[in-house]
Amino acid sequence: MESSRGNIGWVFLLMAILLAVMLFSLAVGAVEIPIRRIFYLLTENCESPERAILLKVRLPRIFLGLGVGGGLAISGVILQGMLRNPLVEPYTLGISGGAALGVCLNIVLGGSAILGSLSTPLSGFLGALGVIFFVYTISSSRGGMRLSRLLLIGVMVSFMASSLIMLVMALSETRDLHGIIFWIMGSLEEPNPWLIKTALFVSVFGAVISFIYSADLNALSLGEEEAFHLGVRVERMKRIIFVIASVVTGCCVAVSGVIGFIGLVVPHLMRLLVGGDHRILVVASFISGAAFLILCDTVARIIIAPMELPVGVITGLVGGVLFIYALSRKDYSF
Amino acid sequence: MKIRFMVSVFFVLLLSNAFSAPSDAEDHRGNPQDIFRPPQRIVSLVPAVTEELFLLGMGDSIVGVTVYCQRPPEAQVKEKVGTVIDANVEKIIELSPDLVIASPLSGRRQTRKLQRLAINVEVFDEAVDFKGLCENFLRLSRLVKKEEEGRKVIREAKRDLKSISESLGASSSPRVFVQIGANPLFTAKGESFINDLVERARGINIAKDATNGIFSREEVIERNPDIILIATMGIIAEKEKEVWLRYQEINAVNKGRIFTIDSNRVCSPTPVSFVDTVKELVELFHGEQ
Repeated sequence: MESSRGNIGWVFLLMAILLAVMLFSLAVGAVEIPIRRIFYLLTENCESPERAILLKVRLPRIFLGLGVGGGLAISGVILQGMLRNPLVEPYTLGISGGAALGVCLNIVLGGSAILGSLSTPLSGFLGALGVIFFVYTISSSRGGMRLSRLLLIGVMVSFMASSLIMLVMALSETRDLHGIIFWIMGSLEEPNPWLIKTALFVSVFGAVISFIYSADLNALSLGEEEAFHLGVRVERMKRIIFVIASVVTGCCVAVSGVIGFIGLVVPHLMRLLVGGDHRILVVASFISGAAFLILCDTVARIIIAPMELPVGVITGLVGGVLFIYALSRKDYSF
Repeated sequence: MKIRFMVSVFFVLLLSNAFSAPSDAEDHRGNPQDIFRPPQRIVSLVPAVTEELFLLGMGDSIVGVTVYCQRPPEAQVKEKVGTVIDANVEKIIELSPDLVIASPLSGRRQTRKLQRLAINVEVFDEAVDFKGLCENFLRLSRLVKKEEEGRKVIREAKRDLKSISESLGASSSPRVFVQIGANPLFTAKGESFINDLVERARGINIAKDATNGIFSREEVIERNPDIILIATMGIIAEKEKEVWLRYQEINAVNKGRIFTIDSNRVCSPTPVSFVDTVKELVELFHGEQ
């Protein structure tokens, strides 16, 4: 909390970067549309394929990137803050594994025949909820939620889920296999506008709750007992943080698949940049997580156009390189 | 209290969002397409369909194909809109097609997106035998208002198959193992083009009863095929041939009857190329020995 004012300056800078990235993402793609024409297309109400490309192909992807990138980043921040462990990310607690298992089963058992296109996100979300409920029940005892236990059980559940996914994949038809693999790789291409709105809404909501608890998270960084003596209702707070992080992650994964690395690398980068004060960290992570994912998705779209890379390839590579570089430049301890 | 309030606000908003949701309708403007006019701008996301469109004389109406659409050579100069499994929505919209032909392999997110944008997308199920192939071909020829031509192509293909079958007379049927993948060893089960091809060339597919394509090498040795066919997977085919040569117990290996076939042609045929492949197989199965 050395220089709060300077850190708020960072937030404005990140906001500007986010806006720039969104504009950039709108402007580039497999089809070339000159910048001047974009402004014309956005302001004039005319029917043209280019306008459809801008408003119905690129814009929804940007909004989904905003929701998913921001959501995963804040989940990462608050989980790392609560568990006081630098290796934790939103997927550590088995949420992505549960969602992926739900989707696998849905594809193999042909759930889309009954529920249509909503069956995939729905089954993903149900899988995530199942895991959240399981992990939560097992790790809570009468004395409250034990964090080390939560972490270990989460990790075990992830391993079990990935074994079960392998089992399902080994037994399934070639055609289903392709669907499963593509879903697991993750993508921001989502045709249903309602799902995009929901994901965006849930993650903004999660960010607001996280912000409300950010002062408590600061107190918790001193230790559970110290936080309790500072007047934080530690047990209740732990439960809320866990549920918020899980539901936000579950929603993101259910809509866009398992897009890795954002929830791990963005919180760390932001700690390097704005320091450990969660009040600023949460806001900064949401903004930069969104900007990072939108940028990675744009790169994935254009790098080998008209084909597209899985966005996870870019998030992993760019995120990893960026993080190692930042870490080697600055003295950083969690 | 604060939290409880926010949670309830959240759910109210979520629900209101849900009820205003199904806005598909507004996107479907419904193209007033003339039902008697053939489509003028076709995007094909299926290599076999691209080939079939050329067969039907619709080559000039194709405006976009996948990078795998290599046959006929004229298809190679058409605009590329992505791969079979990953088409680029932007590119397709830019071409403003009046017909997009997709397969179950085409990304579902992409095809649904196109449909939402009121683009006419026809999804063709994968056929697994000659009959299904003809049905699909006929459906395609109806879509492009070339039903007469389509029926003619099918009639000729059927006639050719019949004469092949007659020319074979009462010749004996070799037992055949078809390998379409290595590591794991992958074969063609009963419900597949390859099985149909082999049977029409008067061969017996030893893996006909397999439930899925993965087959053990032990099982192949046990069932002892007279012929091993390897669908070319580039260099791998030669390597796989070497692997088989270690098992001299197998009839096919012993007699040197291991052949390679073009995997593109056997896996995504048109009625015409199907007949050609049957002819080729007949040559391999019943030719000079």
